[in-house]
Formats: sequence, structure tokens, C-alpha cells
Amino acid sequence: MADAPKPSATDDPLLAAYLERRANLVRFLAARAGSLAAAEDLAQELYLKLAGRERAQDIGNPTALLYRMALNLMLDRARGEARAAARDSAWRQTAHAQVAGIDVADEPAADDAAAAAQRLRQLVTAVRELPPQAGRAFRLHKLDGLSHAETARVMGLSVKAVEKHVSAALKALTAKLGPRLNS
Amino acid sequence: MAEALTQKRETGEADIRAVAADWIARLQAPDLDAAQAADFDAWLSAEPAHARAYDAALAVTLELEAAAPRISEALADEPAPRRAGRRGWLIAGGLAAAGAIALAVMPYDVLAPTKTETYVTAKGEHRRLKLADGSTIEMNAGSRLSVTLERGERRVVLPEGEAVFDVAADKSRPFLISAGDRTVRVVGTRFDVRHRGHALSVAVERGVVEVRPADGAPGRAWRLRPGQRLDASEGRPAVQFSAVDPAEAESWRAGRLIFRDQPLGEVVADLNQQFDKPIVLDDPVLAATRVSGVLVLDDQAAVLRRLALLAPLKALPSGKGVVLRTDPAAKP
Repeated sequence: MADAPKPSATDDPLLAAYLERRANLVRFLAARAGSLAAAEDLAQELYLKLAGRERAQDIGNPTALLYRMALNLMLDRARGEARAAARDSAWRQTAHAQVAGIDVADEPAADDAAAAAQRLRQLVTAVRELPPQAGRAFRLHKLDGLSHAETARVMGLSVKAVEKHVSAALKALTAKLGPRLNS
Repeated sequence: MAEALTQKRETGEADIRAVAADWIARLQAPDLDAAQAADFDAWLSAEPAHARAYDAALAVTLELEAAAPRISEALADEPAPRRAGRRGWLIAGGLAAAGAIALAVMPYDVLAPTKTETYVTAKGEHRRLKLADGSTIEMNAGSRLSVTLERGERRVVLPEGEAVFDVAADKSRPFLISAGDRTVRVVGTRFDVRHRGHALSVAVERGVVEVRPADGAPGRAWRLRPGQRLDASEGRPAVQFSAVDPAEAESWRAGRLIFRDQPLGEVVADLNQQFDKPIVLDDPVLAATRVSGVLVLDDQAAVLRRLALLAPLKALPSGKGVVLRTDPAAKP
């Protein structure tokens, strides 16, 4: 990244909190932005914002302020982009469906193809084997790209119930697809 | 929710995993606030096991999100989910995912959970859908809708965009369209629904259409007859009625836009659904200027030239798009 002004962290509580919590912020941003690369970019943008700002005198809770700034940053950036991206990918998906399932553009390199196909089979199987309600919420929200509210409307549930189902689905999928945890 | 998460007893690994999944779902919810995010930070830092469980859930979530189109494609070609562990289905899914072989016809499953299909049109794209019940939907550009056909009702959610619905008559299965905080209910008819931002309009060509507030939303139900149009704003109970030639409301299907006494801002919003290059209209006075006319939608530059004949404006190239400004020379 380009050279940013590097104020001393010791006399700036907000910057100190950022440096201390950077890894957590990236984890947080990744869940909302959809990729680690996007999360790293956002974390870097947040740093530049922090470094270039007017120093406030009294910051009550630097962690909460940090996360508020991160949320605002994402709102500013994501609004238009996410919409356009979702529209494009969904459109590509439907357009592909019309060419009889032969997807030339997305073809992986030959040596990766077998591994990728096997992993995809695992993902598909895991999604297919989700309990009915959790599976439906997951498909509508995560695969079809409906918002929480739209998923709730389609399923005739509250938004909170949709969040519960999505969480249950993620738990089951992580158990099946995730790395083994030894704690 | 946040308190519930932090207070939850986390003795075993399974509990920690459950809380990690709860956190991902919470972080991705639209109503997440900074206080909850700070709670998340505290939970994450409390134990190394928390961060491990979260990272595992995050990795799986990101992988699934990135593969979503391919997973959808593989799942779309099979009927409802069945009991796990049937080898034949597994293989079928794998083949479909590889995109190599079309699937054989699967047995019809009476107990199949209802399937929802989502359709999206890009800028400038029109799309005609034929539903299993015989209804057709013609989608305007920049639109997104999902269709669920159930035994008791047919349901469409239109979060954004415009479409003409030609609904096959079926008294036992009402056709419901949710758009913002209102629901359009029909039995068999033809009409246009447009939902852009917070504005909804419904124009009826044939049959009777009912527009009612969604559960909990303000306002009352209205019945529309052919040639009537209703305009509503999300969050506002009041609606406006006008007479309409339905052919005009659907004019986008023929590649032209017809508008009568409409604010220029709305016309530009429509045009922005048709062309990739954004048209920017910052001037509120110009945006409120009312215009009437017909625009043939061929290429953007030509459309803007014609628009300049209808309103006192000039189009200036700017960055990636076009900016509309008041043209002092054109002022009456």
C-alpha cells in the first residue's frame, strides 16, 4: 500500500485500538464484505481514515467507535457495488442456464478441475442434507441472494427466525465442511 | 441477541461452534449495530477457541458464498432434498456440477418442499418467464423477482424492478405479489407492477387487481379495474389513482418509454435501468421539471439528444457517465 502518514499510536487511543484489534476487524469485515481480500482492503481504508482524521479529545469507548466507523465505511462502499455485483452474477447464472449447462467461461484449469469438482460435490451434498427449514432459508438467502426480509416474506417467518435458521445451517455446514477443531 | 450470545454458557466445543455460527449470522444481518460488533470483538478475544471456531465458520461461509451460483445450479437440476446418504443422488449432483451431462428425469415427489426460483435482469435486458401454472411474467431491465408456486397460492416477491404479469386464472390459488410494504393480489388478469426504490405503481389492463398493505404496514386495500393505475410510497398510507392506457405502462416492452407529466428525475431513473453508462442528475430543480413524451430506446446518446428536446437540459460527458445540467439557452 502507499505510504500513509504514521502518527504515533501511543498518544492516539483510537489508533492504538485499531492496531490491537486489526485481526478481529478483518474477521468482522470478511463476514460482511464476503471475502478476506475485500476485508483487508476495507481495514486498510479504515486505517487511512483514522490516520488522516482530526484527533478527538475524549473517546469514550474506542472499540465501539472503531466498529461504528467500520460499519459506516462498508455502508458507503457496498451500497451500489453489492447490488450491481449480485445482479451481474445472478444474471450470468440465469444466462448460463439457457445454454444447456455448458459453462465455458468458468471452466477451471485442467489440473484443478478434479479437485474443484470434488469439493463442489461436497458443498452441494452438505447443502442438500440440511434440515428442511434451515436448508430453505440458507438457499433463499445465501444461494438465491434474497435479503433477510425477502427470505422471511417468502417463508412466512419473522426476520429473526430467518437469522436463526441461517445460523443453524452455518453450524451444520461448518461441522461438515470445516477444518477439524482441536481445542 | 448480543447479550444472549455473550451470556450463553460455552462449556463444550459444540457450544462454541454454535455461538460462532450465531455470530456470523448476526454480523451479516442488516440491523447489526456497532455495540453488537464490539460485543463480538470481546467474545472473539475472550478465548483462543472462540477465534478458532469463528475462523472455521467464516472460512466455510465464504467458500459457500463464493460457490453459490455453482451450488444453485447443481441443486436446481434435482427435485426436493431427500434423506441423506443416497448414493445415486450424490453422483447425479456431481455430474450436474461438472456441467457435463444433463440429468435424467427424477421421479415426482409429492412431499417436495416448495421451490423458489429467483430471476434477475441486467441493465437493458428484458426477459420473459413462463411459469408452470401457465402464467407469464415479462421482466423489464434492472429487475429482480422470485417465484414460489405452492398448492394454496402463487407468490412473487419483487424487491426491485418492473414486470408485466399475465396471470393464468385459478380461483383456488391466488397470485400474490409482494413489493415493499404492499401486496398485490389477483386471480387471473394482466397488469404491470413497478417497484423502484420506495415507489410502487400498479396499472391494470385486464381483470381485477387488489393492492393491500403488507402485514403491519399502514393503509387500506384497494381494488383496481382495467385502465386504472395506483401509485404508492413505502411507509405512507395514502395512495394516488390515475387513469392509464395500459399499453403505455407496458411500453418498455416495445423498446420505448412513454411518460406524461412525469418528473425528469423519474425518467432518468428509468433510463438508468436501460443503459450501462450512468446518467447523473444532481440538480433538484431540473429533476422536478415535468416532462411528457415518447423516447425510443436505441442508443444512449441519441436518447439524451431527444430528451434535450423535451426538457431544458444539456448532457455533458463526465467521468464514466453523463451529467444533465439546466441549459440556460433553452429556458423559456
